Amino acid sequence: MTATDAPGHLAIRGLTKRYGGFTAVDGLDLDVARGELLAFLGPSGCGKTTSLRMVAGLVPASGGRIVVGGRDLTDVPTHRRDMGLVFQSYALFPHLSVARNVAFGLEMRGIGRAEREARVREAIALVRLTGKEEHRPAQLSGGQQQRVALARALVIRPQILLLDEPLSNLDAKLRDEMRIEIREIQQRLGITAIFVTHDQVEALTMCDKVAVMNGGRLEQLGPPLDLYERPATPFVASFVGRINQFRARAAGGIVGLGEARITGAGPAEGPVEVMIRPHRIALRPASAPVEDAEGRLNTVAGTVARTTFAGDVLHYEVAVGDAMIGVEEATRSDAGPVAPGTPVRLSWRPDDTLLFAAVARDGRMRP
Amino acid sequence: MTAALAVAPTTPRGGSPVRPAAGPALLAAIVAVNLLGFVVPVLNLLRLSFLKVEATGTLRETFDLSSWQAILTDGFYAGLLVDSVRTCALITGLTLVLSYPIALLIHRCRGTIRTLLLVLVVTPLLTSAVVRTYGWVALLYDQGLVNGMLMALGLSAPLRLMFNTVGVVIGLTEILMPYMILSLLAGFGRLDPRYEEAAMTLGASPWRTFLRVVLPLTLPGIALGCLLTFVLALSSFITPKLLGGGRVFLLATEIYDQAMVTLNWPLAAALSMVILAMFGLALVLYGRLVRRIG
Repeated sequence: MTATDAPGHLAIRGLTKRYGGFTAVDGLDLDVARGELLAFLGPSGCGKTTSLRMVAGLVPASGGRIVVGGRDLTDVPTHRRDMGLVFQSYALFPHLSVARNVAFGLEMRGIGRAEREARVREAIALVRLTGKEEHRPAQLSGGQQQRVALARALVIRPQILLLDEPLSNLDAKLRDEMRIEIREIQQRLGITAIFVTHDQVEALTMCDKVAVMNGGRLEQLGPPLDLYERPATPFVASFVGRINQFRARAAGGIVGLGEARITGAGPAEGPVEVMIRPHRIALRPASAPVEDAEGRLNTVAGTVARTTFAGDVLHYEVAVGDAMIGVEEATRSDAGPVAPGTPVRLSWRPDDTLLFAAVARDGRMRP
Repeated sequence: MTAALAVAPTTPRGGSPVRPAAGPALLAAIVAVNLLGFVVPVLNLLRLSFLKVEATGTLRETFDLSSWQAILTDGFYAGLLVDSVRTCALITGLTLVLSYPIALLIHRCRGTIRTLLLVLVVTPLLTSAVVRTYGWVALLYDQGLVNGMLMALGLSAPLRLMFNTVGVVIGLTEILMPYMILSLLAGFGRLDPRYEEAAMTLGASPWRTFLRVVLPLTLPGIALGCLLTFVLALSSFITPKLLGGGRVFLLATEIYDQAMVTLNWPLAAALSMVILAMFGLALVLYGRLVRRIG
């Protein structure tokens, strides 16, 4: 048995969805190993929900295969796919009680009453809703409805759990709680899961792997840390976390920025897209002594244009030549904010300079 | 009274304030219309049913129970009532079965197609039931389109599709379908395609999804449509008269005959009260059902 044939392993090969002349999903290729939680991350319209719905069988694929545990499910109707889906709107049956909602999938599978009741009780306990069995969905809060939807999807012990933006209708505090709760339950059950979201924090904090999608294509697939530290494309760099971005020209591996020369990882010649994360830049008054005696850091001189105090961090905008560079520093009790108009020195490690060949407006690489 | 109280406190903040006293005043118009257009005539009918009619057709202002006695003791009227309810229940059932898929389709359509389908549903209502009934006569009579085609296909004698209950059921079913479709649509509010998708991901086949999710969620529409169709079927007399050819006896046609042919107004009035009681009964059943659906 090869790894991709293992039970609970999801393999997606060349998955494509076309609507007339519009390609919503374009040749998606990826694997989700058993027990892994994978995020489909991207802006709205990137094809992430369409991909999820194709996996569930709710949208027929125009091309490609969906294989779970070695079994090709591409042409299998939804009700025989054995997947649990949690909808963004929860889609709890309004005419059934919480217990009947959770029991629905078991009844459809013809599971006997005694076992059914035991499993429903267990699932409701898992999502901490014991005592709410006889309530109607309309009598529950958003967070409770969310948990019923999760219990209903999990009680059938699906091979794959699919979550379609499950937290987007909850308020911020509840969202943080549910994030932890869903991750905990997913890990405890060791279930393979796909989590669709447009929120990079959700993707980074909850998931083992993240598939960043844009314009129907997979931009990058990898663990959260890789995505953040080694983005494959400017799109990934700018979508995951905040980042400074400006055009410059590279020659012999050196990029000109204002009057300074900086280095970084990327193309050595031609027009480049320079990207630097704001909190990786150190800001010192120009009058302060130079700490980087060996000259290992990229250092540029500039003038503070704007200072914004946000409690835990200070946001600066620093004019460097024509470019405006955002800098983020943790606030300190021993040093106040640097006032606008102050000449400053910015420095950062060359590894933190991401260079990409300059891109056209549509985000695709230039030929 | 309770409605007036519910209207009264509509002045929480902002907007154009409706003074509490304006609630009853606003209701006065509809109360007056109902009183003059419904309550008074019905009470007059009730009074009429206790009058005595001479052989000449003149009414005598006495208290007389002979109309009610006839209805309660003569087996003909009991049979008429049972037949009417049975025929109208059959029509309601057929109308529901034929209208439900159309309503479901319209509910799922969006944009221009939805508008177009709705126009197609409503258009027949712009034509009078008399014209539509004659349309059915042209289709159903012995040399009509349907029989003509059946004979061309080798049928030796024409099917009796008119001047019997079959004709009345066919005609009324088609005539009442728009009302049923519109009522169903009005009651389909809770039906979201997400529920069907959820049921399918949980392992329900399309048929079981329909039985366990779609049907229960559309019950309010079904109840409303059946109530309306049943009431309209029970009270219609032109179509039963024309397509029944005087051989199909229903409550409404009997009332018409008693009032216009026999000129026995007290009996017609008493029969009208019976129909009104049937409507009340249907309404009570509907109310019970809606409350149970919750």
